[in-house]
Amino acid sequence: MFMPYDFSIIIKEFPVFIPAAILTLELALSSILLGTGIGLFVSFARISKSKVFNIPASIYITIIRGTPILLQLFIIYYGITSLLLIDPFPAAVIAFGVHNGAYIAEIFRGAIQSIDKGQMEAARSLGMTYPKAMRRIILPQAIKRALPALGNQFIITIKDTSLASAITIRELLLKSQQLGSSNFRFMEYFIIAGIYYLTFTATFSYLVHKVESYLAVSDH
Amino acid sequence: MMTKKTNKKMVEIRDLHKYFGELHVLDNISLQVFEGEVVVIIGASGSGKSTLLRCINRLEKADKGEIFISGHRLINKESYINKLRQEVGMVFQHFNLFPHMSVLKNVMEGPVQVKNFPKEEVKREALELLVQVGLEDKANNYPAQLSGGQKQRVAIARALAMKPQIMLFDEPTSALDPELVGEVLAVMNDLAKNGMTMIVVTHEMGFAREVADRIVFMDEGKIIETGKAEDIFDNPQNPRTKDFLGKIL
Ligand SMILES: Nc1ncnc2c1ncn2[C@@H]1O[C@H](COP(=O)(O)OP(=O)(O)O)[C@@H](O)[C@H]1O
Ligand SMILES: [Mg+2]
Repeated sequence: MFMPYDFSIIIKEFPVFIPAAILTLELALSSILLGTGIGLFVSFARISKSKVFNIPASIYITIIRGTPILLQLFIIYYGITSLLLIDPFPAAVIAFGVHNGAYIAEIFRGAIQSIDKGQMEAARSLGMTYPKAMRRIILPQAIKRALPALGNQFIITIKDTSLASAITIRELLLKSQQLGSSNFRFMEYFIIAGIYYLTFTATFSYLVHKVESYLAVSDH
Repeated sequence: MMTKKTNKKMVEIRDLHKYFGELHVLDNISLQVFEGEVVVIIGASGSGKSTLLRCINRLEKADKGEIFISGHRLINKESYINKLRQEVGMVFQHFNLFPHMSVLKNVMEGPVQVKNFPKEEVKREALELLVQVGLEDKANNYPAQLSGGQKQRVAIARALAMKPQIMLFDEPTSALDPELVGEVLAVMNDLAKNGMTMIVVTHEMGFAREVADRIVFMDEGKIIETGKAEDIFDNPQNPRTKDFLGKIL
């Protein structure tokens, strides 16, 4: 069926996507938050000299990075729902959080290990405990160094939320598919979804950039 | 100059051994440092000088032997080691200032975070220390904005802020451009004059001659010779000391 594009739909229907856009944002932010928490914890486990911590951490990272995110989403959603009833949204947050945790753990680990070991020694020489030296001296420097890679990971997460459409979450992508199949204006609706994604990722990039330049004051 | 300033032993090392794998880095080291004394350790690179200093504040764990800090034996307990480190200031070759904190915050970090002293009081004392090392005008600068000599003076102030009983210096001027060495040595000289107990690893023989109560010469993990500066420099007994001084002077 031939049908010319009607781009006025994009403007007219733009507000219709707001609930889906909010859902996308909620999904992305929750996943980032959970992923950062998991990532921080796992990076410490990974650095730890104790095998009880670093071996499980390595296994987790290997599995997550070696399998598709969509498979992980299905395993968590259908895997959990076969045992107990769980809504798609929390399932997606868990899946994306766990997924991100592995990448963020590696980002943090790299950043922590890149800090000169003289920093830890100077802190310990003052009598600081290891956790305090980590928190006061190492982490602030490591987070600053990790920020570009973290920002990148967060942007990937925003885009990856589109996969949640596969488990019936009416975020931006599913919303545009559903509306498109009602009147076959797929292209117009996909463009709307694209504009929302681009706005989110661009805003996020900008914010990360702002924080980076704020933290750079001590560099010169 | 006297060899002992008082009779109080601030650091006592007994039969210390340290290995890195096969390498016998410290080989039966015994050393006593008395209150107010300045001991300068000299020796070729790799002779174990840094490792010895690092054993004293437990950045390295010795494999055998005992260390006493003002009479208290160093034991293998984390909380105890953290307490002990508050009494032993350490100044590193590469400064190791905290780059994300201003000069003032660097100096305040120890007393505020480790001793939980009130910020206002600590700030006043930190500013006094910065005056003492001639950097009061740099209080709000970040380390990246300082010269090497200034960084090292801040590092000294940071260590002093903990009011340590002993100060360890590991080649504090080795990473500095020659024209910046003097300002750091001047601060150390002042400290020595004010009665600080100091153990200094350095290649600055002029400083050693002027300030040291005692020189310790190390080679291959052993203390080869120890004595007053004029004796060691002008009349070394051991051929290895002679050899080393011949190369460096
Ligand atoms: N962490 C370490 N692991 C293995 N070997 C080390 C370590 N630290 C120092 N060494 C070795 O121990 C010896 C003594 O080192 P060090 O105490 O730094 O000597 P110095 O300070 O006199 O130059 C050197 O051979 C050095 O390579
Ligand atoms: Mg050394």
